[in-house]
Parts: sequence; structure tokens; C-alpha cells
Amino acid sequence: MSFWSYLSARHEQLLTDAFQHASAVFQCMVIATALGIAIGLVSYRSTWGGHLAITSTATMLTIPSLALIGLLIPLVGLGVPPTVIALTLYGLLPVVRNSIVGLRGVDPALVDAAKGIGMSRSAQLLRVELPLAWPPILTGIRVATQMLMGIAAIAAYASGPGLGNEIFRGIASLGSANALNQVLAGTIGIVILALLFDSAYVLLGRLTIPRGIRV
Amino acid sequence: MNTTSRQRPSGERPPGEHDVKGHAFRDGIAAGAEEPAVVPQAPARRLTWSKLLVTPAVLALVLLATYLWITNIPLDPIEQNSLGGGNVRLRLWQQIQLVAISTFWVLIIAIPLGIALTRGGMRRTAPLFTAVANIGQATPAIGLLALLVIWLGIGPSTAIVGMVAYAVLPVLSNTVAGLRAVDPQLVEAARGIGMTGAGRLVKVELPLAVPLILAGVRTALVLNVGTATLATFGGGGGLGDLITSGIQTQRMPVLVLGSVLTVVLALFLDWLASLAETVLTPRGLEA
Repeated sequence: MSFWSYLSARHEQLLTDAFQHASAVFQCMVIATALGIAIGLVSYRSTWGGHLAITSTATMLTIPSLALIGLLIPLVGLGVPPTVIALTLYGLLPVVRNSIVGLRGVDPALVDAAKGIGMSRSAQLLRVELPLAWPPILTGIRVATQMLMGIAAIAAYASGPGLGNEIFRGIASLGSANALNQVLAGTIGIVILALLFDSAYVLLGRLTIPRGIRV
Repeated sequence: MNTTSRQRPSGERPPGEHDVKGHAFRDGIAAGAEEPAVVPQAPARRLTWSKLLVTPAVLALVLLATYLWITNIPLDPIEQNSLGGGNVRLRLWQQIQLVAISTFWVLIIAIPLGIALTRGGMRRTAPLFTAVANIGQATPAIGLLALLVIWLGIGPSTAIVGMVAYAVLPVLSNTVAGLRAVDPQLVEAARGIGMTGAGRLVKVELPLAVPLILAGVRTALVLNVGTATLATFGGGGGLGDLITSGIQTQRMPVLVLGSVLTVVLALFLDWLASLAETVLTPRGLEA
């Protein structure tokens, strides 16, 4: 069976897998972004706190994904829970790190000016610091999303959702006629999803980065 | 006196570049709009007792706890089969071999290639490599490995080819970024005092690029430990074998032992690489 006829024969299954892959990565990325920015906000003012936040999330990233998933299975079982937890944890570092770097990079004079015109602490954060720190945070989200695409594929081994299932089906049927088609479809599907997400982020950046600091 | 001489602090890369596991991703979009104020400097570079002791001590404790747990629970025949007879030692050794061999090849390929790409006429091919690198980053490691297995057959050497292919790009881009970040004035000065091309490379550019190159090596090591776990899907052995057989046979002790050993090995190698970074960075570059 050629690759094209394989695609047309299995397109429903493939589209479902692709949708589940994208939705798992997207949802975990939303959680990771919210958590990551929160951690950044809590810790960026203290040298010690920022260091702790970055070191601990960096340690997380050093752990091979199959091993983290393996450690999660005894705790939460197979399927969606270990996938979501692993993806969220791996998504944290780039967001935390770039939030801290971005927030620390905001010119103190601007924050001082905001205070001077009577803004409350939360208004300073929401209307001055976060918008100025947003471009690096968005870069962090982009980098994290790309990484999660690949990790989500591995999570399929623990019965997680997504295109990784296609790859593992191919590995399981090595030597059969369809093995190459399955692996190719899964891999190319993930690359395409990653590129689509990437362009979505470029668009999001255009829409959300304040005009004043756009290059 | 030139007041704007901005020698890049070690570790900074040109705007728009970012990295995943070497963690150097800062800003990509608005780098020029507002030069970010220099972030409070990275922690002191010299070796300290805490740097030397904390990680190995924690890892040793984790290993000890796992050992005590495994030796004190009753194991059924399947578990005994997976964990006994030197199988664990064999898998650990395979994992270390996979990581060592692939990292060796990554360095042999990526660093000279990175140097070549910043010399003379080759410079123009750099955008091509960046494009390949971007697509390469989007390719899932497991997909790449599976394709190689179909192409080259199963076995450890296929896994090593996959690991090398996967880790070459970060080291390559770090080497190129490191050499590009060298202040052109310093190279010019070196030329001015009559150094040859090779002399400039060996005595000026490479030492200044050492921090970024080492960061790339550390990245490769971490990536390789992760990808080596996947070698099991291509019949390459390694600790991934324990993890997958633990999942397939639903035997938690096997799964946990495999995972713990993988994690400990990854963190230990990362710690070794961080020591190497500290020791090998030229003193003059310390912040």
C-alpha cells in the first residue's frame, strides 16, 4: 500500500489522533502557562526564589520523559493522567524561566512611574510589567509547545492519546507492509502540528504584543 | 576609549536564537525594542562545596531508598526474572555505553562542522542549517528512531545513529552561536598583532566560545540520556527495557527501578557536565 492510499484509507483515524494530540498539548500548555507565569510572579522579586524556581524546573527537564511517565504510572495509572501531568511539568521550565527573565528585564523606572501616577500593585503588574514581559514569555510558550509535541508522542506508550499511537503501532508491526506508513504518518503529522502551532504563536504575538514594544 | 565595547557576557547568544535543553531561550521577538537590563548575574562560577556535594548526596539517598524497597518486598517470578541474574546491571551498562558512544560522535561531528560553518565562504550556508535545525526540533525523537529502525534494522547501532542525528543540531547551533558571539574587535585585534587564521581560531575565538560550546555538550548529554531510554523500541537495550517491560507486564517494582535508575543517571551526568563547565571555562570569562 502506498503512503497516499494509506492516508486516504485511514484519514479518519489519523485526524482523530491528530486532533487529540493537538488538544492534549494545547490544554497542558494552557495549564503550564498559567502555573508558570504564577510561579514567575511569585519568585521574580527575590534572587533566591527565582534561582530555586529555575533550578527545580530545569531539573525536571533533565529527566527523560519515558522515565517520568514510568514513575507516574504507579501513582496515577495509565492513560490520560500521566500524560497530562508529564506534559504540564515539562512545559513549565521555559515559561517559568522566561517569565522571570522578562519580568526582571522591565525597566524599574517604568514601574516607578506607574507607582507615581497612583497605580495599585496589581495594576502595576497587569498593566505595566506583564505586557512588557509578554514577548519573552510567549517565546517560552512557543519553545515549550514544540517540545511537548515530541513528548506527547512518547506518552502514547502509556496509553496516552494522540499521534504517538500511530508510531507505536508501526513499531509493533515492524516488517509488515504498513509499518513504514504508520510511522511516517505519525511522525509527519506531529511535525505538521508543531509547525502549525508555531505559526499560530507568531499570529498570537502580532495580536497581543503591545504596539509600543513591537519591533 | 570606546565606551560601547560590549563584550557579550558568557552564555549570551544573538537575539532570536533559542535552545531547549540548554535553556538559553530568552527573547525572540522584541529583542531590539528594549535591550533587557542585564539579569542579575548567574551564580558564581567556581566550585563550591554545595555544588560538589548536594546532587550526589541526594541521588545516593534515592538509590539507597529504592534498593531497600526492592530488596524488602516479595518478588514474583516475573519480577525476579526481570531484576535478577545481572539483568539490571546489563541494562545500566548498555545505557551508559549508548550515551557515551553517541555523545562522542556528536562532539566529533558537531564541533568541527560548527567551526567550518563560521569560516569564510561557508558562512552563507548557515541559514540553511538553521532551517534544518528548526524542522529537526519539531521531529519527535521516537518517530525519527522508528523510521531509522525500519530503514537500518533493529539493534544498538541504529539507536546510536538516531541519538547522534538528534543531538548534533543543538551542539552545532551552540558552537556557531558561540563563535559568532565573539567580539569582532577582539578578532580584529588578533589579526592586527599578526596572528594567522588558525592562531586566531585556537587562541582567541575558541577559548571565548568555550562556555557556549560546553553548554551545547551538556545539552547533547541530556538529550542522549533521554533518547537512549527510547533505544529499547529499536531493540537497542538500555534502561528503557526495564521501563517498557514493567509497563507491559504490569510489574511496578521493575517499572520503578528502571525509571529511578534512568532519572539518577540523567541527573548524575548533568551534574558531571555542570562540573566540567565550571572547571573548563577560562578564568578570564568568569563573571
